[in-house]
Parts: sequence; C-alpha cells; structure tokens
Amino acid sequence: MATQIVMDHSGDTRHEFDPENAEALARAERRFRELTGLGFTAAVRTAPGEVTRIRSFDPTAEETLFYPRLVGG
Amino acid sequence: MISVFRLGAPARARLHALRELYRRFFGENTPDARGRRLLSEWLSPAQRAQFEQYRYFDVVGSDTGKRYRIHYGTAANVHEVNDAGIATMGWCFVPSGFLVPGDVMLAQKIALETDERAALALANRFPPATHSEHFYRRPF
Repeated sequence: MATQIVMDHSGDTRHEFDPENAEALARAERRFRELTGLGFTAAVRTAPGEVTRIRSFDPTAEETLFYPRLVGG
Repeated sequence: MISVFRLGAPARARLHALRELYRRFFGENTPDARGRRLLSEWLSPAQRAQFEQYRYFDVVGSDTGKRYRIHYGTAANVHEVNDAGIATMGWCFVPSGFLVPGDVMLAQKIALETDERAALALANRFPPATHSEHFYRRPF
C-alpha cells in the first residue's frame, strides 16, 4: 500500500491506495494534481531524514507528503 | 464483605487499566501528538535525537549550506545559527492554515533542505533575541 499524507488542522489526513490498482492509482494522481494545483508542496523520503520535492506524481512512491503553501510569518 | 472486597479489587484494577488505555489513546491521537509523530518519522536519526533532547533540531540550507535551528513552535521559530550554535538571525515563514507545531516544523525543514532561497525569499526576518531559550523549552 502507498500513502498520501496531507497536513491539516487535525495533524494530517492519510489516503492509502494500492499502487497495483489502476483505478486507485488514477485517483491518487488526481489528488496529487488537485493538491499541488492548490499550492501544496509534495515531497517524498529518499532516505531516513532525506527529503526530495516532487513536481509530478510518482507512482512508485510509498509515501508522499503534502504541506500547504508557505507564507511569511 | 471481605469476599466482595477481594472480588472488587481486580475489577478496580481492570477499570484503572482501561482508563489509562483511554487516556493514552486519546492523548496520543490529538492533532498535536499526531504532528509530533509525523515530524519524528521524517527527521534524520541525528535530528530526531536532537529534537528529543532539546526540542529543536538543525537543518542545512540547500543553497548556502548555512545552518538553521528549528525550534518547537508555529511562528518565529527558525533561527540561522553560526558554527558556535549562536543565533544570528531569525526567519519567520510558515505553511498557511492552522497547523500544529510538528507539521509546521516539518514543512520548514523540507523547505530549507530542498529550496532554501525560495523559503527565505518569502520569510520575514527578526532579531534572534526576540525569544529566549526558556520560551522554546516549555514542555510539550
């Protein structure tokens, strides 16, 4: 199972999907496009503590993290 | 009467254990606790150890190689630090919306480690003495 983790007021919301299931994969890709379209940044872990941003959907990613657009505080 | 008391003790123990279980379950499923857990999962082992001990962790900027210290908090919690670990500048940038400290800190870590210039371009600077170490070391 793969997981898309979306930061929100509850801590995070997790969307799990089976990457072997074409329909589930398509839903996950659609969610990716919607979130990044709203300004969310997507990132994946490449090693413990090492993170890479991704700008297009990675169907092989076990975990993709989304956080909202950054603003000056 | 004595037998009732003896029978009651295990029941009270079970009730106490059940209460403790509920307390822990709900305590560890608050947004704040979930945010801290997510942050911990995404930190490097060294960052995690530092955070558990000091409630802050250091990251290295992707563009300049400068070191930043991210303190537990949701605003004005990022300091640029020198080789001696002394704060030289404060940087304030946060994800939009109402996120818990763990989430904010994780977003700040990713931003600085992957696109430092963009993060600093939108950040507001502040003098590092604005908050004391005492401020950041309040318990969770």
